[in-house]
Amino acid sequence: MTVYIGRRLLGVIGVLIAIAAVTFTIFYVLPSDPAAAACGKSCSTERLTAIRAHMGLDQPLWRQFADFTTGIFTGRTMGSGQYELHCDFPCLGYSYENSEAVWGLLMDRLPVSASLALGAAVLWLVLGLTAGVTAALRKDTLTDRTLMVGAVAAASLPVYFTSVMLIYGLIRVAGLLPYPKYVEFTSDPLAWASNLLLPWLALAILYAAMYARQSRSSMIETMAEPYIRTARAKGLPRRTVVVKHGLRAGMTPILTIFGMDLGGLLAGAVITESIFGIPGIGRLFYGALSTGDQPVILGVTLLAATFIVVANLAVDLLYAVVDPRVRY
Amino acid sequence: MATTSMSAPAATTTPAGSGPWQLARRELRRRPAVQISLVVIALFVITAVAAPLLSKLGGWSPEEFDKNAVDPYLGGQPIGPLGGISADHWLGVEPVTGRDLFARVVHGSQVSLLIAFAATAIVVLTGTAAGIAAGYFGERTDTVLSRLMDLTMSFPSLIFMIAMMSVARDVNRIALMIAVIGLFGWPGIARVVRGQTLSLKHREYVDASRVGGSGAWRILTRDILPGAAGPVIAYTTLIIPGMIATEAALSYLGVGVRPPTPSWGQMIAESVAFYDTDPMYFVIPSICLFLTVLAFTLLGDALRDVLDPRGSRI
Amino acid sequence: MEKRTCTALATALVAALTLGATGCSGGPQDGTRGRKNLATANNGRTIGGTPERGGTLTVLSNQDFTHLDPARNWVMNDMDFGTRLLYRTLVSYKAAPGTAGGELVPDLATDLGTPSHGTRTWTFHLKPGITYEDGTPITAQDIKYNVERSFSPDLPGGSDYAARYLKDAKGYQGPAKGEHLDSIKTPDDRTIVFELRKPFAEFPNATVMPTFAPVPKAKDKGPQYDNRPFSSGPYKIETYQRNKKLVLVRNSHWDPKTDPIRKAYPDKLVMVMGLKPNQIDDRMIASQGADASAVPWYALRPESAAKVLPRADVRKRLLAESTNCTDMVQMHTGRAPFDNVKVRQAVQYALDKEVVITSSGGPAFNDVSTAYMPATLFDGKQPDTLKIPTTGDTDKAKKLLKEAGKADGFTTKMTVSNGDKGRAEAIQQSLAKAGIKVVIETVDPSAFYAAIGDTTTRTDMVYTGWCPDYPSGSTFLPFVFDGRYIKEKGNSGNHSLFRDEATMKRMDEIAAMTDAEKAGAAWRELDGEILAKAPTVPVLVRRWPLVVGTNIAGAYGQTSFGGQLDYATVGLKDPAKSEG
Repeated sequence: MTVYIGRRLLGVIGVLIAIAAVTFTIFYVLPSDPAAAACGKSCSTERLTAIRAHMGLDQPLWRQFADFTTGIFTGRTMGSGQYELHCDFPCLGYSYENSEAVWGLLMDRLPVSASLALGAAVLWLVLGLTAGVTAALRKDTLTDRTLMVGAVAAASLPVYFTSVMLIYGLIRVAGLLPYPKYVEFTSDPLAWASNLLLPWLALAILYAAMYARQSRSSMIETMAEPYIRTARAKGLPRRTVVVKHGLRAGMTPILTIFGMDLGGLLAGAVITESIFGIPGIGRLFYGALSTGDQPVILGVTLLAATFIVVANLAVDLLYAVVDPRVRY
Repeated sequence: MATTSMSAPAATTTPAGSGPWQLARRELRRRPAVQISLVVIALFVITAVAAPLLSKLGGWSPEEFDKNAVDPYLGGQPIGPLGGISADHWLGVEPVTGRDLFARVVHGSQVSLLIAFAATAIVVLTGTAAGIAAGYFGERTDTVLSRLMDLTMSFPSLIFMIAMMSVARDVNRIALMIAVIGLFGWPGIARVVRGQTLSLKHREYVDASRVGGSGAWRILTRDILPGAAGPVIAYTTLIIPGMIATEAALSYLGVGVRPPTPSWGQMIAESVAFYDTDPMYFVIPSICLFLTVLAFTLLGDALRDVLDPRGSRI
Repeated sequence: MEKRTCTALATALVAALTLGATGCSGGPQDGTRGRKNLATANNGRTIGGTPERGGTLTVLSNQDFTHLDPARNWVMNDMDFGTRLLYRTLVSYKAAPGTAGGELVPDLATDLGTPSHGTRTWTFHLKPGITYEDGTPITAQDIKYNVERSFSPDLPGGSDYAARYLKDAKGYQGPAKGEHLDSIKTPDDRTIVFELRKPFAEFPNATVMPTFAPVPKAKDKGPQYDNRPFSSGPYKIETYQRNKKLVLVRNSHWDPKTDPIRKAYPDKLVMVMGLKPNQIDDRMIASQGADASAVPWYALRPESAAKVLPRADVRKRLLAESTNCTDMVQMHTGRAPFDNVKVRQAVQYALDKEVVITSSGGPAFNDVSTAYMPATLFDGKQPDTLKIPTTGDTDKAKKLLKEAGKADGFTTKMTVSNGDKGRAEAIQQSLAKAGIKVVIETVDPSAFYAAIGDTTTRTDMVYTGWCPDYPSGSTFLPFVFDGRYIKEKGNSGNHSLFRDEATMKRMDEIAAMTDAEKAGAAWRELDGEILAKAPTVPVLVRRWPLVVGTNIAGAYGQTSFGGQLDYATVGLKDPAKSEG
């Protein structure tokens, strides 16, 4: 097991370096010039050259990449003279747009995106699994049909449509919720939750629908397994069978999907965050795009990739715990 | 967007003697949801193909302004109820510009479906090729391709697509979108096909063919590919809604097709600002998008049940 | 003074300079079709009366500042915010609605400056008793230091007035390496002398720029100073999370007796950033709960006009001063097909300005532009020398194209900033009727100037604007039409690359005139002469519509800051109603 984890961790690092290299090449080769953007309205050629040098853009590409990767582990110093910029470990570069190190920016926004993602995840797991299991246990009844039709419909709604409808219904018409603004959990947990409720719902509806469908078919399959039938035949109460045997085995495939969805949610949050104006990583990224802030674009891409890779790894490891049949 | 990825496919058994298509047709005819889905899909596909004709019928081109249809003193609100629906403008007009919504929705379907179908085609072709190669040749080819699949799947694809679309110059937005969306979709289908190939390549009939002197190409195209066709078809149908949604999401974020080309996502993005002052403008493209995605999902569900009953699912 | 104006305003996201505007946009004006403009009733007036001291003013914003570092702050809204709340400059604008807002008032300085050597040298004295947020005195050296900082390549983005006018400033790279400018002298702590390359009578207008705000060397953290400018104004920064939130609290060391401009009514100012523009509009219109004590940062979106204009109660809270920036379609006069004046005139005739206005929010929020310089420079109303119908004249355009040998029309490209997409589509549509097919290239605001400033790679058409820095033709026509200002890269202002000997000769003659009246008349005449040569097509002049909360008082659009709310005077009617 330890060997396995070690090998996987090495693989993770390899994948991340590869992603960094690809991202780096694409965004530094494509025609956009952060120096020109920073230089502003009246930009003389001499000034542009000076700014490029200050940003390190006059270096060859491989050199920039080498500086970037070593900077992650050792930190680096940019600029010169009085305005030296120290970017400490782990240095993912420096955002000239925000006058801040990328790592600091990411860590500042991460709790926001994490609040959004985790809250929504809890909501969609509860909603989705309840609906899915209920439908599975009442297979081919009216309840089942209604739930599944609802789920397919909800999964087909684009998140921006759902969001706008939620804003209109719950804020504008009913006046039940405030226009979302981010409140730190530590400063006021209640305000934190009530402000995030709407974005949670918007995200959760989409995912809950997919989970309902998935968990239904998974449950139906499991409940048809011989050992469940045996358990039922032995006279165990239906409730015990469902909870102890059915759910455990039936939820294993859900776990895989959940891990990957959670890992990928950071990326998916771009739309939700931009609709609701939540100052998380997705919005940081979207803002960086419009200002051509390449270090931030690169940093967010890497962070998002890390989440995906780590989530995959975690899922594989958890498998061993949840499903006794899996061995390494 | 937000499609969950596949779990490893289990071996699929296609009952001998009946090709996937015959089986599918027989089974699908029994389901009303499938029939309705097919009608909806056919309707939108015909709309897309006949877009120029239809908009000529409506009397407006998708880019033509009609300033008599909007009130400049009210921020360009359409004149008349329901977003300006009238005999002249069948689905009303866009606020501000007065462009005909019918013409734009019809042309929008062309762009949205073209991008979705073309991207799907790229995904399916590369995915199938890579999957077969990895599964059949095994060893080093398999290792390299599998690593490549892992790597591609580790990319935060939406983020990456947004970034690429936003820095790319205005070449041909539609072609660019097809390429970018297609780039990240292939590993899913490659895994399905790889699993299929692995299970098929040691079947007796394949062995027999090999002993009979057939080359790799012949075996792949004659023996293995038909065996994998069922799950591929089911999978293809299931990823189309994802492709449509991705196009819409990118256009929604402002990095998709550029004005004045309409696409559903782009229309929704523009209309969000008017959702309360001119709800029809927002609702019409949203419904088109919703119906198409729904229809493909239902059809895909049914196809999967029939063609790939124990296999990979989304 | 110099230029570099609101080329940016045209881009909707980044608004730039536009100082000036005395005598602009006075009372309500009639719309194009003779309907009354519902948006301009409050122009030149203050909404809500005089504020009470105290409370928290909330600013709802969709974005963050481009730069708050005074050496880098050169966006109109940001300059308003920075110089009205956080730092003081040598000279500033009077805090007053309407045309009075264009008057210069000494701020840190005791007067508007003393010229000598035929306005080649300018001397300013600082007031006694002016201090920073820690109580240390503001010195002349600190002002010099910040001017020097603005030359540093590490601190880009600021105005280039100093670079354009100061003597021996060429090649200077800022104070980081211990080099200093000899053309700024500080004989003592309270005297600063600027030596200029050429006579410049309007230099005090330039000292309104944040470049001329003090920065103490000990507090300078280079690029990071942007996140925490050291206050010399009535408020200081408590917290600033980029793109999220900025909180300002009172600077107890600011002495109101030294400051004739800033009133500093609220105790606290909270700016919430990154909100959705439409949600801001909806919240401002509803003005419920804490939102009653809020103001919007950015202009009302055209889409929201339908929610505001029909409602008299909301209109009472609407400000819509003119930005004084003329949006123009600028054609590359240096190459085919626009090197032919007939082709350019065809564009003038083909353009349906009414459609563009509608796509820009309608006549309530825009005025048709029939001349280059905004109404301010024409004593309140632009002339219409060409007499082209507002909706264009397609037949005439086709005829002109035929005469130019382009009877079948042609295809061309136009670069616009993202925010101008709608306007660009309207232009595209109306030119298409005359056979001119326009392909639109949208560019992010951040990259817009770089894209159109490269004269070799840019498209044949660009859509961008210009604003006068102050009410003088010298801040408009030479910047937009003098061929000697063209730069191969980083070009700005003259985006038509117009190089006309007669025009340049006349501009020099007018610049040499000593009689301001005569010069003004000459500029107005020249405006029409250039218009006939059609290097660009003036399209419209925008307003800056803002709906403020019901508990807001002291609110007016500052005409010198392009109609943005004057943060020197805005406050609350009832501070108790605001959110702590």
